Amino acid sequence: MKLNITRRVAMAMALAAGLASAGAAQAEFPDRAITLIIPFAAGGSTDVVGRIVAERMGETLGQQVVVQNVGGAGGSLGAQQVAAADADGYTILMGTVATHALNPLILKQKPYDPVTDFAPVSLLVLVPNVLAVNPELPVNTVQELIDLAKKEPLSFASSGNGTPLHLSGALFNSMAGTDILHIPYKGSGPALTDVLGNQVPIIFDNLPSASGHIKTGKLRALGVTTATRAASFPDIPAIAETLPGYETYTWNALFAPAGTPPEVVAKLAEAAKTAMEDPKVVEQMAGFSATIVASSPEELAEHVKAEMAKWEPVVKEANVSLD
Amino acid sequence: MDLLSNLALGFSVASSFENLFFCLIGVLLGTLIGVLPGIGATATIAMLLPITFQLEPVSSLIMLAGIYYGAQYGGSTTAILINMPGESSSAVTAIDGYQMARKGRAGIALATAAIGSFFAGTVSTFLVAIFAPPLTIIALKFGAAEYFSLMVLGLVMSIALAHGSILKALAMVVLGLLLGMVGTDVYTGTPRFIMGVREFSDGLNFVALAVGVFGIAEILRNLEDEHDREMVTNQVGSLWPRREDFRAMIGPILRGTGIGSILGILPGGGAILAAFASYTLEKKVSKNPKEFGHGAIAGVAGPESANNAGAQTSFIPLLTLGIPANPVMALMIGAMIIQGIVPGPNVATDQPRLFWGIIASMWIGNLMLVVLNLPLIGLWVKLLKVPYYILFPIIMAMCSIGVYSVSSNTFDLYAVAFFGLLGYAMTKLRFEPAPLLLGFVLGPLLEENLRRAMILSRGDPSTFVSRPISLTLLLMSLGVLVLVFLPAIRKSRDEVFIESEG
Amino acid sequence: MSAKPTDTTDAAAGVFLILVAVFFGWQTTGLETGTSLRMGPGYFPMVLSALLLIMGVLVLVKSFKGQGERIGRIAWRGLIFILPAPIFFGLTVRGLGFVPSLFVTTLIASQASVRMKPLPALVLAVLVTVLSTLVFSYALGLPFRRFGPWLPF
Repeated sequence: MKLNITRRVAMAMALAAGLASAGAAQAEFPDRAITLIIPFAAGGSTDVVGRIVAERMGETLGQQVVVQNVGGAGGSLGAQQVAAADADGYTILMGTVATHALNPLILKQKPYDPVTDFAPVSLLVLVPNVLAVNPELPVNTVQELIDLAKKEPLSFASSGNGTPLHLSGALFNSMAGTDILHIPYKGSGPALTDVLGNQVPIIFDNLPSASGHIKTGKLRALGVTTATRAASFPDIPAIAETLPGYETYTWNALFAPAGTPPEVVAKLAEAAKTAMEDPKVVEQMAGFSATIVASSPEELAEHVKAEMAKWEPVVKEANVSLD
Repeated sequence: MDLLSNLALGFSVASSFENLFFCLIGVLLGTLIGVLPGIGATATIAMLLPITFQLEPVSSLIMLAGIYYGAQYGGSTTAILINMPGESSSAVTAIDGYQMARKGRAGIALATAAIGSFFAGTVSTFLVAIFAPPLTIIALKFGAAEYFSLMVLGLVMSIALAHGSILKALAMVVLGLLLGMVGTDVYTGTPRFIMGVREFSDGLNFVALAVGVFGIAEILRNLEDEHDREMVTNQVGSLWPRREDFRAMIGPILRGTGIGSILGILPGGGAILAAFASYTLEKKVSKNPKEFGHGAIAGVAGPESANNAGAQTSFIPLLTLGIPANPVMALMIGAMIIQGIVPGPNVATDQPRLFWGIIASMWIGNLMLVVLNLPLIGLWVKLLKVPYYILFPIIMAMCSIGVYSVSSNTFDLYAVAFFGLLGYAMTKLRFEPAPLLLGFVLGPLLEENLRRAMILSRGDPSTFVSRPISLTLLLMSLGVLVLVFLPAIRKSRDEVFIESEG
Repeated sequence: MSAKPTDTTDAAAGVFLILVAVFFGWQTTGLETGTSLRMGPGYFPMVLSALLLIMGVLVLVKSFKGQGERIGRIAWRGLIFILPAPIFFGLTVRGLGFVPSLFVTTLIASQASVRMKPLPALVLAVLVTVLSTLVFSYALGLPFRRFGPWLPF
């Protein structure tokens, strides 16, 4: 009798497992749910982009794309998890400038290699950052800010040490020859609060997170960090108009573990492209001030290399390094 | 009257059949999930976020808000029944609520929590409606120096959490502060005390700590003498508070609501302090402070009201500034962006239906919670009749799932085991866990703001006394210290008398 | 004051605090302290460790007078079975998958009580596993693998 029960349980378990992975070898990709790992806490901008894309990709692929937030260590925990996952395309990563350019340059111990541990899938969007000040600070242009910073001590808030925003500020300091003091916060929200309350006069922030305050005049935007002006805010000049060559932005891209079969990567990239062309997604991204790229895997591979080359001197100069 | 027409608009939006339905779903889910130990609102909302894509923006936010206060509510239920707080705020409820349950007054404790929460929710919802814009201005006046002084005040008040030795309670606060330092230093990025485990680089998980030092330590304590006697938790007394219970809870509820409403506005962790502050106050004004820690009804009524009031008013910075006060709010902002609403100061003017609809739904949600939960009390209390040896394996399974679901981090599970051991060692050595938890929550805020204030003032410590709000808070801390230690000195003299007499 | 502590629990508590303080103090030594004007990452922890050390010494000293309850019985069986339960879950949830891992976890935890007989423990573990899988995996859609790669099927 007891044997009977165990056997029945075993059969039930086998049946359940069988349903989950029926004929994994021969069936066409994807035949089960795909896990999209977002290496940051839920609610941030990467999370939002990831969830929007995951939903549309799921529709195209005919399988659910399940979002899993694996936050921690500036995104490197989640990235590390994907680097170590099975190279079958069922575990993919929402990479960012932090996971695939900054962390590998900043971390003393490299938990993964951004180039050799991943199969690039698609560069999805570029998100501009913005340099903004509390309206009580008597500057209206980037040049006025540089002049003021050379006369008196100023400080700028960012979402944390070693983040793209911190380094945007560091790059600004190095190109403008200023020494604006960096005040790191735990995330963009508290940094923004202190700038709105004029506890700190200057902030480098993602354009989407600051845009509401810029529109209502609670913040004065001096410049966007992209090489050209952002389509959603044509009135804000680019910092590059004052400091030629200045360019930073945050980007989001999909990565699979290295060794993922090229046809699987191609299928994922195709689904991502379809997702980003969906009119509703286009509208959501525009509201988010994000520029859609939806690149091919090869373009993303080039992009990662270019970004690493661009940030290396900045990281060295800003003297940021984390254990 | 602008306010009246706005509120009317809000209620008309919130009371549409569809929105009532989603509000109900939200509070129901929130309560159910809050009741499972270890699983908080953050994990739940993250799980349900994809579902809300399909809904109208108002409905989806109403549902998410419902989950948030539903979970707060459910968390208090587990804190009272099995000493397992799911959120920092219900840690305070656990102190006296669990003692009440052990004495067979679980029903009364749960009813007190329900009534207190409802009253606080009602008052603070109207505060949000009337004062949201001016209150925001106050919140913005809080810079690093002010936050530091506020945290000092919080730490000073933590002394009142002790019902044994003040020295040992202070030692627990300090240990909590140290545990709060674990993780990456915000200013230099240096990892501290992580023992080479990068999974801890964002700090120890609050849920793992709370579940360990409160819940698991309590399970172990119950297993100590199971040879000798029946579990105390089997006895279940009356379910409904009597007249004298009601009289005992009115004052604490009113004071708790006030404290919670004020502290909830501050985006940098003010709401966390609310429940602790209320407990301190109640212990101070009580005629028999000795009762605290042994099942004082005021120790449940005050903190629960404060906690719920704070939960409501912490929507103020979210709605008026678009700045999240806690991870749950961050998720709601994410939901708004996905819905194409740019959060920020313009939401109230651009999207009045959304803004006022959410505010009105807060009150409706609170009403639903109290209507839903008062009858459920009987059911919850029956849970206590389940033999303990059946209950605790279930608790362990739920804790494991819950802690893991927060961020899929297996090291959080190892931390649960470690803190269970630590918590048990602490109870054996007669240390109390609540001050440790307060220290843990305040520690990072205290350090971060101290250092930020010093950097911003370019190394001038007078910044703490030259800024009026900061100075006021520091003076209040001094006042509390005097209040606490004067009677303590007098009391110890009394005790000497009693001993010499006996 | 006698040579032996009269309150053994508090004596142990004092020693416990001192040990913890020494541990944190030792861990802090590698960190930059900075100055009080420009604090480094080690400043605050150093101050706290010192405070904790002082408190530990005070508790220890006080234990030489005064009376307290004894430490009392220790739940050895509880410690042996309760604490490994979440550790086991953590070690196996990815490899074995949610279902088998939770089943064994519940089984381990149930052994903490002498009152739990093997058959009821098995029934309880099956029930908990089935219900949790239905609620968390199917209804809430938590992204856990139900059966992990370590299993042959």
